Amino acid sequence: MHELALLQNYLIVGGILFAIGLMGFLVRRNMIVMFLSAEMMLQGVSVSLVAWGRFHNDWGGQSLTLFIIAVAACEAGIALALILSLAYRSHKLDIAVWQDLREEDQPAFVDERVPEERGDEQLWPTLTPAGREPKHDWEAELHRGRV
Amino acid sequence: MTPLLVGEIGLRELASNPWFWALVLGAIGLSWKMPRSSVAMRRLGAIVALAGVVVLAAALVVKEPISESYIQQGVFWFLAIVTIVAAGAAVTMRDAVYCAIWFALSLLGTGGLFLYQGAQFLGVATVVVYAGAIVVTFLFVVMLAQPEGHASYDRISWGWYVKPFATIAAGILLGAVVATVLAIEPDSAPLLATAEQLEVNVLKPAHVAGLGAEVFSRHLISVEIAGTLLMVALVGAIVMMSRTNQSVRSEERRDA
Repeated sequence: MHELALLQNYLIVGGILFAIGLMGFLVRRNMIVMFLSAEMMLQGVSVSLVAWGRFHNDWGGQSLTLFIIAVAACEAGIALALILSLAYRSHKLDIAVWQDLREEDQPAFVDERVPEERGDEQLWPTLTPAGREPKHDWEAELHRGRV
Repeated sequence: MTPLLVGEIGLRELASNPWFWALVLGAIGLSWKMPRSSVAMRRLGAIVALAGVVVLAAALVVKEPISESYIQQGVFWFLAIVTIVAAGAAVTMRDAVYCAIWFALSLLGTGGLFLYQGAQFLGVATVVVYAGAIVVTFLFVVMLAQPEGHASYDRISWGWYVKPFATIAAGILLGAVVATVLAIEPDSAPLLATAEQLEVNVLKPAHVAGLGAEVFSRHLISVEIAGTLLMVALVGAIVMMSRTNQSVRSEERRDA
C-alpha cells in the first residue's frame, strides 16, 4: 500500500467526521443528539490518530485512541446522568430551557414559533402483520392481573 | 499534486478543484438537511449532500491511489462512504431514535476503518464499548422522548443565524485541514515507515501483545489515571442521580 496516500485519505475522513460532529453540536438542540455529536468529534480524532500511528510505525497513536475510548466512556456516563437529571426537572430534552445559565450581559434567546407538524410528515416505523390474528377472549383478558 | 495554499491560488483554479466543490456541496447540503420546517428543503439538502459525497469520492479516485489492488481500494471506499453518510444522517435526523441508529452505523464504519489500518484491538473495542453506549442511549431516548410527534425543538434550530455560521466555521476548518493534508509532498515525509518496519512493529501478527506491552510499560501511569477517572465518573454519576431523585421527590411533595 502507498502509506502516504493512506495517511492522507484517513486524515480527510477524520476531518470530515470532526466537522460533521461540530456542525451537529452547534446546530441541534436535543441534548442526546448533542452528546452523540460530541462523540462523533472524538471518533474523527481517533481515526486521525490511528492513521498517524501507522504512518510513523509507532504504537503511540493506538495507545492514545485507547485512552480516548476510556475518557469517552466516562463522558458518556456523566453526560447521560446530567441529561437525565435535567430532563427530570424540565420534562424536555431541549437545551434552550437552561439558557438562564448564560453570561450576565448576553441577550436572552427568544424561541421562534414552530408551525404545527402535518400528519404526512411523521414517518414512523411499522411492523407488517405476520400470520392470522388469534381470537381474543376479552372476558379472560379483563380479569387478568396487571403485570 | 500542486500545493493548495490559501493566497497562492486564484478563483479560476479554485473553481476547477474537485475538493473545493465537494466541500461546498457537502456543507450546503448538510446545512439544508438540518432540522427546519420545510420538508422539501430537507430532501433537497439530502440530495445536494449526497452529490457532495460523490464528488468527494471522485476526487479521492483521481488522487494517488492507496493501493494497486482494486479490492483494497474498494473496501476503503465502502467503509469511508458508509462512515461519512451515516455521520451526516446522524446529526440531521429529526427523531433522536434514528440519530442513535445512524450513529451506530457510523461507528461500525469507523471500527472497519480501524481494522483496515491493522488496529485490530481498537476496531473490536470501538464496536464493543460503543455498542453498549448506544443501547443505553437508545433506552434514554425511548424513556424521555415525547409520546407523539416530533418535539418542537427537534424541528428547528437556534434562530436563523446559527446554521449558516456553524456551516461556515466547520467548512473553513475542514478546508484548512484538507488543503494542508494534500500539500504534503512524498519527499517531505522523512518518517515514512517501510513495509518491513511495519511488519515487525505496528502490523506484526501478535498485535494485542504489542499494544498491551506498549500501554502497560510506557503508559503505565496513564492507565492508572484512566482507571481512577472511570471510578470517579462512576461515583459522580451515582451521586448526581441520587441528588436529583431526592430534590425531584421533595418538589413533588411540596406541590402536593
